[in-house]
Amino acid sequence: MWDQILTGFGYWDVYAWISFFLVAGGMVYLIRSLGRKDYKQGSDQDEIFFGSNPVPEDGEDLKVPASSAYWGYTQALKPFYDVLVGFHTGVATDYAGWYILVTALVALLILL
Amino acid sequence: MSWQVHLPALLLAVPLLGAFLAPLTALGGKGLRNTWFVLVSAAFTMIAFLLWTRVGSTGTAIYVMGGQGWNLALPSGMSIPVRILMEIDAFSAFMVLLSAVAALAGAVFSIAYMDRFSGLEKFVALYFLMVTGMFGMEITGDFFNFFVFLEISSVASFGLVAFWRDRGEALEAAFKYMLVSTLGALMVLVAVAFLYSKYNVVNMATLGKVIEWGIVEKTALVLFLTALAMKCGAVPMHMWMPDAYAEAPAGVTCALIAVSQASLYGLFRVTYTIFGAFMGSPVIPWVIIVLGVLSMFIGVSMAVIQKEVGRLIAYHSVSQVGYMLLGFGVGLLALSDARAMAEYGFTALKGGVYHIVNYTMYKGLLFLSAGALYYATGCRNLNDMGGLGRKMPKTMALFMIAAAAIAGLPPFNGFVSKLFLYESTFAVHPILAVFAMVTSVLTLASFVKIFQTAFLGPALQKFEGVREVPGTMLLGMSVLGVAILALSLFPTWSVNHLVEPAAKALVDQASYIGAVFSASVTGGGL
Amino acid sequence: MTGNFPYLVVGILFVMGFIGIIFEKNLVKIAIAVSVVEAATNLFIITLGYRSGGSIPVWTMAGGGSSRMVLPTPQALTLTAIVIGLATTALMLSFAMTIYRHYGSLDVRDVRRLQG
Repeated sequence: MWDQILTGFGYWDVYAWISFFLVAGGMVYLIRSLGRKDYKQGSDQDEIFFGSNPVPEDGEDLKVPASSAYWGYTQALKPFYDVLVGFHTGVATDYAGWYILVTALVALLILL
Repeated sequence: MSWQVHLPALLLAVPLLGAFLAPLTALGGKGLRNTWFVLVSAAFTMIAFLLWTRVGSTGTAIYVMGGQGWNLALPSGMSIPVRILMEIDAFSAFMVLLSAVAALAGAVFSIAYMDRFSGLEKFVALYFLMVTGMFGMEITGDFFNFFVFLEISSVASFGLVAFWRDRGEALEAAFKYMLVSTLGALMVLVAVAFLYSKYNVVNMATLGKVIEWGIVEKTALVLFLTALAMKCGAVPMHMWMPDAYAEAPAGVTCALIAVSQASLYGLFRVTYTIFGAFMGSPVIPWVIIVLGVLSMFIGVSMAVIQKEVGRLIAYHSVSQVGYMLLGFGVGLLALSDARAMAEYGFTALKGGVYHIVNYTMYKGLLFLSAGALYYATGCRNLNDMGGLGRKMPKTMALFMIAAAAIAGLPPFNGFVSKLFLYESTFAVHPILAVFAMVTSVLTLASFVKIFQTAFLGPALQKFEGVREVPGTMLLGMSVLGVAILALSLFPTWSVNHLVEPAAKALVDQASYIGAVFSASVTGGGL
Repeated sequence: MTGNFPYLVVGILFVMGFIGIIFEKNLVKIAIAVSVVEAATNLFIITLGYRSGGSIPVWTMAGGGSSRMVLPTPQALTLTAIVIGLATTALMLSFAMTIYRHYGSLDVRDVRRLQG
């Protein structure tokens, strides 16, 4: 029960990983406990730093929306994504057409 | 004779009874209906578990419907089975167990999730019909029954996808799903007819015994292959999948995943058990591998740019099915070559089988947690969400488990099956492993996106009143969460007891065929 | 030669159905095209089971020693397939109807809020 899984090329040992995470967690805790505890609560030291502007009341004004995530990635691969999104037309008959096309192609491959 | 020989019949009878009595339970009010929903789900999960243990201890189970005896496969000296036959080998039993767990989780989750809506007795009835069809596909030993059960589960799922019929999108998704799915099911029927025209049998074991490699068989194989690959969402026939999965109620999507796995089961039953090593060309394995690689890569590329939670996770379904197709395709490629099989083929197959169990568990949980987000906030769009981790810590914890598992972060189980696949596909061609790894990276990237935008970030004023979802929803999610943790913490047990017997049963064509024909020797009354 | 005519009809019906599914734009016409493919499938199965000069496959009515019956299994298959086909056609048409209420159109190019 406690041994490893051999894959033929390597092995997988979940308990080694768990002990790794325990050690790593202990180190993180240790480093965190080295932090200074003598800051002044309620003073400016306690405030969020927001580019020296006042922090907005509603979180809506300072959150990063999902469409901004991976902006660079999608921008760099724009030609690829234009093709890919264009391919998902959303027309029901296209869905059926792709199915018939793939069937025909595979049939050609195997019968010839 | 133990009553347990009747488990295959019970597995179909219990959800069917549940479906037909569900409208009656509505007379007893909400409480009775919900009790019935959970009770029947628990009952079929129990039956599935017992069936799995029984097949594990006594080998392939045969059940004959409509004969004098449950095990009289060849009555009165017939040389081929003529009755309706159920045949459950280790692979079927494994699939049944998984599907039952996913369906149970979906049912428990749906109680609170669907509580605000009317017409729920119809919902429960359709849910159980879909489950019946799914189990039927997994245990039948007969191609025509396979078609019938495929249609039962499909038609029930069309109704469930369109359950929120006040939303135009749900109807649109159901129509699209229905169009391709009906067409695919008809092609399955044509394939059955092709095989019947040559061999005059529809029994799987008999077909596996007599099959040759000719034009008729090739045509039938192609029709089966593309129809079933479409049903489990292989690119480029996957477009119905994000639509249907994202628009169906979350509990239903959790069960729909198991239904798509039943189609995958059908695909591999056809390619491994019926054709198996007789398949005279490497074209079909390579077609499966190419479909797998395309699904992995295109599915995950589309997922990264999605803005709706449901669609994002549904595109991941496409890419995860690609991993399984890749593993099974490589296994099929090595099937006729004993040395290649021992070197990498069996590892790939184990990876594929292992990925089925992992995928069903974590993907079900992901859809349920997406459903929990929708239930609590009423939003589907990721752009509108944020800071929900403070309000819904338990949902966040369960989502984290599932997301870490799907992205293959150690120590979770998602990585183990991927490790099998990377190392075995590398032996066939390194490019396959490269695609698999790139897909894994993009998977992690898109789940980081959901996690960061939905759960992290500053608290939003509009979500001031959002609270943690009700207990039964958390319970339904925990069923799958606990399953993922157990699979992660005991990888050796799950590989030895769940995965390997199933993978061995899949390559052991002779024992699947032999089980039907030897049943007649011991055959007789009860 | 003439014995193969039914297969020719099956082929023509399949092609007609597929062309209808791919190129028609009206949801109701698409549903009709699916029904055509369904009919082609049923005709195909029935033709497979036909033996020329055969009688109906009921043993007591087969008559005489020279009994030559058509195959009963394909007829059972077709009967089941017809029932399933009826259910799917009805459901598909009802979807088309409710889609029209939501979208105000039956054109498949307008029914695409879900895309990309």
